[in-house]
Amino acid sequence: MSTNTDFDSSIVVTVGLAVAGALGTVLAGWSRWGWYTLLWAALLLAVAVWSVLRHGAGQSGASDSSVEQYLQSREQFGDAVMPVWCRHIENSRSQMEEAVADLAGRFSNIVDRLDTAVHVSSHDDTRDGQSMTEIFTRSETQLGSVVTSMKSAFSSKQAMLSQIKDLERFTRELREMAEGVASIAAQTNLLALNAAIEAARAGPAGRGFAVVAQEVRHLSSRSAETGKNISNRVGLIASAILAASEAAERTAAQEDRSMQSAEAMIEGVLHDFRAMTDALVASSEQLKQESIGIQGEVGEALVQLQFQDRVSQVLAHVRENIEALPMLLREHRDRYHAAQILEPMDAQPLLRELQKTYAMAEEHAVHGGSSRTGSAPAAASVDEITFF
Amino acid sequence: MAKTIMVVDDSASLRQVVGIALKGAGYDVIEGRDGVDALSKCTGQKIHLVVCDVNMPNMDGITFVREFKALPNYRFTPVIMLTTESQESKKEEGKAAGAKAWVVKPFKPEVLLGAVAKLVLP
Repeated sequence: MSTNTDFDSSIVVTVGLAVAGALGTVLAGWSRWGWYTLLWAALLLAVAVWSVLRHGAGQSGASDSSVEQYLQSREQFGDAVMPVWCRHIENSRSQMEEAVADLAGRFSNIVDRLDTAVHVSSHDDTRDGQSMTEIFTRSETQLGSVVTSMKSAFSSKQAMLSQIKDLERFTRELREMAEGVASIAAQTNLLALNAAIEAARAGPAGRGFAVVAQEVRHLSSRSAETGKNISNRVGLIASAILAASEAAERTAAQEDRSMQSAEAMIEGVLHDFRAMTDALVASSEQLKQESIGIQGEVGEALVQLQFQDRVSQVLAHVRENIEALPMLLREHRDRYHAAQILEPMDAQPLLRELQKTYAMAEEHAVHGGSSRTGSAPAAASVDEITFF
Repeated sequence: MAKTIMVVDDSASLRQVVGIALKGAGYDVIEGRDGVDALSKCTGQKIHLVVCDVNMPNMDGITFVREFKALPNYRFTPVIMLTTESQESKKEEGKAAGAKAWVVKPFKPEVLLGAVAKLVLP
């Protein structure tokens, strides 16, 4: 900077002295030397011009060298910085892509596992096309049939018990009949005894009758014996029937209690089964609802994960633009070499190249100066699909 | 039997995201990293629909659609362009190449699935 100032002041002094000398020579010597003074003044001015040109040429040579050095250093700066910037951008871009791809993969696994869980749950809830509720209702009906069959069997046993009690009545009648036989036998024996007495009183004529009376007594005796045997047998049968009846009554009472207990147990099991079925159905329904909710959340997450694609594109566009910068600096330097004119750096060609790569409306907006700091753009809605 | 959809995108995460949405709806998915990779996987098997990005390395989506539709087996296979591009001129290029729909990212899974259900081959 000081060199330029020194240069400017020396030129001014030289030119000033030359002009002053020329004017002074003309004014002082015109009347005495006439046209020679003009020649002398012209000589002084020519020396001044030569001096200016000489200094100017020297300065230009120095300036060319420093400009060249500057352009070269700028190019070296670009060559050194650009690859580092680009590597950082590319590294960040690829890391983000890998991380988001991994994240998306994990979401995919979550969705798959959720689908499997819901499928298994639905399968558990449904066997051969029947829901748990249907299975429960069918089981309840079948167990009800079992209880009904048991009650029917119990009723049959009660009828049998009643018939056994009727047998007791028959044995009583049989005993009475046996007693009747014994009574008839006693009466017959008495009649035979009277007949034997009358036969003895009739003497020889009543001998045959005495034999008959004797046989009747034998028959009467045997009848009495038979009646007694019948009575004994009937007594034994009556005792057996009574014992069987009592045993049947005890069994019936026990079966009644068992059946009531079984009925209560079946009712309890059905109640528990019903509670379990209801809980399973509710749990399955809740799982389905949760699954739908989570799938909705995952859907939203998938929309948000698409930010990576947009950011990756923007970074790639910026990286490509940065990569073009050294070439631009080289071209600028080449133009200087060709024309010896140092043009100002123009950002527009580079920016135009960047703009050509834009695919998203937000890139154009940001390029134009919009400093959006909000959320990502909303996902396309149905009416944003273009069908051809 | 599940229908097969090809997803072509240079972003692995986007392929994952689209794959999750499609697999969740019961489709089989085959993936392509770019147009060249996707074409190499079109070996004559039945593909019921293609979901394709536009800006990709090696071969962009528009070129891929043009070459894909030129393959005899896939002349009638519908293609949905799924891209961040929203310029009308790009959409016209997609239409001229043979695409049937244009969906702008970011997309909602149900929106994409709606377009897929509408266009997928029977």
